[in-house]
Amino acid sequence: MDSAVIVRNVTFAYKNEEGEMTPDKALNGISLDIKAGSYCAVLGPNGSGKSTLAKIIDVLETPDEGGVVVLGVVPDDEDKCYEIRENCSYVFQNPDNQIVGTVVEEDVAFGPENLGVPLPELRERVDAALKYTGLYDLKDREAATLSGGQKQKLAIAGALAMDPKILILDESTAMLDPVSRDEFLDLVERLNRDKGITVITITHDMNEAARCGKIFVIEDGKVTMEGSPAYIFSHPDAVKKAGLDLPQDIDLIYELARLSDSSVDEEDLFDDTARIRTAVRLASKAVEMPSEQPPVKHDHGDKILQITDLSYSYDSGRHYALEHIDLEVYEGEILAIVGRSGCGKTTLISHLNGIVRPQSGDVTLYTRDGETLSTNRKKDVAAIRQNVGLVFQYPEYQLFEETVAKDIAYGLTNRGAVEDNISVRVKEAAKIAGLTEDVLDKSPFELSGGQKRRAALAGVLVMKPQVLVLDEPAAGLDPRGRHDMFETIKALRDSGTTIVIVSHNMDEAARFADRIVCLKDGKKVAQGTASELFEDEKKARECGLSMPVLYDFSSKVRQELSKTHPGICLMPPLPFCEDEARSIVRSVLTC
Amino acid sequence: MLSDISLGRYIDTGSVLHRTDPRLKVILYMVYLISIFIVNSPPALLVLFILTVIQLIAAKIPLEITWSTLKPVLPLALFILVINIFTIKQGDVLWTWKFLTVTDVGTTRAILMALRLVFLILSTSVLLTLTTTPLKIADALESLLGPLKAFRVPVHEASMMMSIALRFIPTLIEETDKIMKAQESRGANYDTGSAFSRLKGYITVLIPLFVSSFKRAEDLAVAMDARCYRGGRNRTKLNPLKITKKDVVVFILFLLGAAALIGTEVYFER
Repeated sequence: MDSAVIVRNVTFAYKNEEGEMTPDKALNGISLDIKAGSYCAVLGPNGSGKSTLAKIIDVLETPDEGGVVVLGVVPDDEDKCYEIRENCSYVFQNPDNQIVGTVVEEDVAFGPENLGVPLPELRERVDAALKYTGLYDLKDREAATLSGGQKQKLAIAGALAMDPKILILDESTAMLDPVSRDEFLDLVERLNRDKGITVITITHDMNEAARCGKIFVIEDGKVTMEGSPAYIFSHPDAVKKAGLDLPQDIDLIYELARLSDSSVDEEDLFDDTARIRTAVRLASKAVEMPSEQPPVKHDHGDKILQITDLSYSYDSGRHYALEHIDLEVYEGEILAIVGRSGCGKTTLISHLNGIVRPQSGDVTLYTRDGETLSTNRKKDVAAIRQNVGLVFQYPEYQLFEETVAKDIAYGLTNRGAVEDNISVRVKEAAKIAGLTEDVLDKSPFELSGGQKRRAALAGVLVMKPQVLVLDEPAAGLDPRGRHDMFETIKALRDSGTTIVIVSHNMDEAARFADRIVCLKDGKKVAQGTASELFEDEKKARECGLSMPVLYDFSSKVRQELSKTHPGICLMPPLPFCEDEARSIVRSVLTC
Repeated sequence: MLSDISLGRYIDTGSVLHRTDPRLKVILYMVYLISIFIVNSPPALLVLFILTVIQLIAAKIPLEITWSTLKPVLPLALFILVINIFTIKQGDVLWTWKFLTVTDVGTTRAILMALRLVFLILSTSVLLTLTTTPLKIADALESLLGPLKAFRVPVHEASMMMSIALRFIPTLIEETDKIMKAQESRGANYDTGSAFSRLKGYITVLIPLFVSSFKRAEDLAVAMDARCYRGGRNRTKLNPLKITKKDVVVFILFLLGAAALIGTEVYFER
């Protein structure tokens, strides 16, 4: 059998509560072939029909028109559907919503139990799946106590126990930190290599897509591009038009090509070695000295938040979520807090507005009016919450009012603000957050995912906080959504708001933050600018940091350059592709 | 905080009781449930206390877990105590002030009622929730109620629903905690202010919680479909229930305990 999946002219529209088809088709005559044993990515902006396609392949939805053949089976009756599902495993985005069993091994067994696999084969399959995914030691643990990364591995183990031929990953890495994500992808790639399982991954992460053998780009329910990553990314304009992005390393190559007036073709991007070679070739070819751009320095103002010797434990001292944290936040800066999941980031930011009060130590806020407020003083807490706005991860889950406008106004009405004043402030906040006025009268539950997040952000901005704290503000958004979110954040900073941002995306932290603080196991292990933090790769890894993709790539390029250009004087890497390309070319030309 | 509550949670200490067949535990639980309501005299109460302590030790439940299991029900126990002390008017009057009267019968009855609740919780925890995974409880019920399938009672479906509900308790607690914090940052009030503002505070938590629970339910249903779930038909079990000699010994020991309890009760009640 050559093709694992054949999709032909499929259209599909979701039905509303009355059973009528919604006018916007999720899939619009889509056709594609996926080779057995291949590893392919499906890319596309939110709402382009990626997940629907995956559900059609796993016959969780039936096409309105057109048809699918999966592993040679046409799903025309119920038994055939189950035959396909048996051989085709699906891992979803939210790890919590796919775990059925309370205990790890019981969850792994759920699939094969449904298939009626008898003992002792059932036990063998479960144990083998647990061992393969490295979860065997945790088999008796309560599944709810696993970390996000472990939960996704559990989902893979549950799939593996079904002995599938196809594995579909639906944004399965979106909620994972970089280290867990790499582990997860290594596991998936191992399955693809060793067991010949066809892997179909839906992702917003371009670096992830670049690891695949083939990419399908989907827009408005149709495939608009397909080919190897090198082929896809050798058409940068089409990629950007589709609302996608280039992986950082390839972006750097294009910047270098621009500086050396050359073009890039498919072979140049074939794999890591080819990309490094291309980058070195392009950098050496440049003849014109790029103008030196003075680095944009944001002078920060006075100290606005002071965290002194802060410790916090959830289990009365057996294990500390935070241990002796000292940290200053300066007015007008963007401070990024990075670290792996469970390192204490969320606990730390919950202290900044007094939602969690210090068990020991202190958090002090110096307001614009010259007041000094401490979260240790109960009477100060209300004032601190007005001045420090906190936007938690996935804030769209906190919306509750009948209309968006009322929801945004909630914080103000709580404070007893005057009616006219409220509607002006709501409109203002909605505008800053990037919402148009026509959504204000809609129910928040009618909005798209990205709009909901903006509405939740507006609900915090309406209080006009001096300090805005954001926990993973771009998590789960598509490339365009991420880009817009960071533009909003930069605009806020430019209008005078101090920003504290929690992120596990190192590229974004390096690009947007003035300073980065790194937490590990509840302790502050490093602090400084991106260049300072990532200069020493070994030290950065010891802190549990993963290198930004751009730094990683350009340091390899620099290494090669120093071989071909002895005596070259290289500057520390820069976070933006454009600046980095200039810096490399300057170094080569002055050599 | 919400996550401190261990009522309804499974704590694995690997004791004999953890490994006992859940069906037997469910039956024992019924027996103890009835016994607890039969107990009326202080000596029997003492026996019940000793039995419960032995059970806790046998299940190797740490003291702090026992405490955190009891903590959330203490206010209710206290409430029952107070209500009963002042409302039962039988027996000799011990103390009276204006419209309040306390009698000896009322006091003993009130203490008994409150202690019953405490023992009820302890025995539920030690026999079921703390020592048995929800999935096993569901398995046990499915097996015990199996005969009802002949009468078209959806036993398998009910037990699956129960086990999933239990599986999602920690997830939902975590989520509630998160939403509460988010709303609190926007000025929501849960424990100060007027009754109205407190109610409003809770609404801001409940609505998002409902919305996300529905979303979770939908996601989970799709995930179960994708994993070929099609009801109880032809399903196998990774850990099928099997009664061993050890189980029988545990069962008999516990039955003897219950017999001793009822014996004491009958003896002193006469």
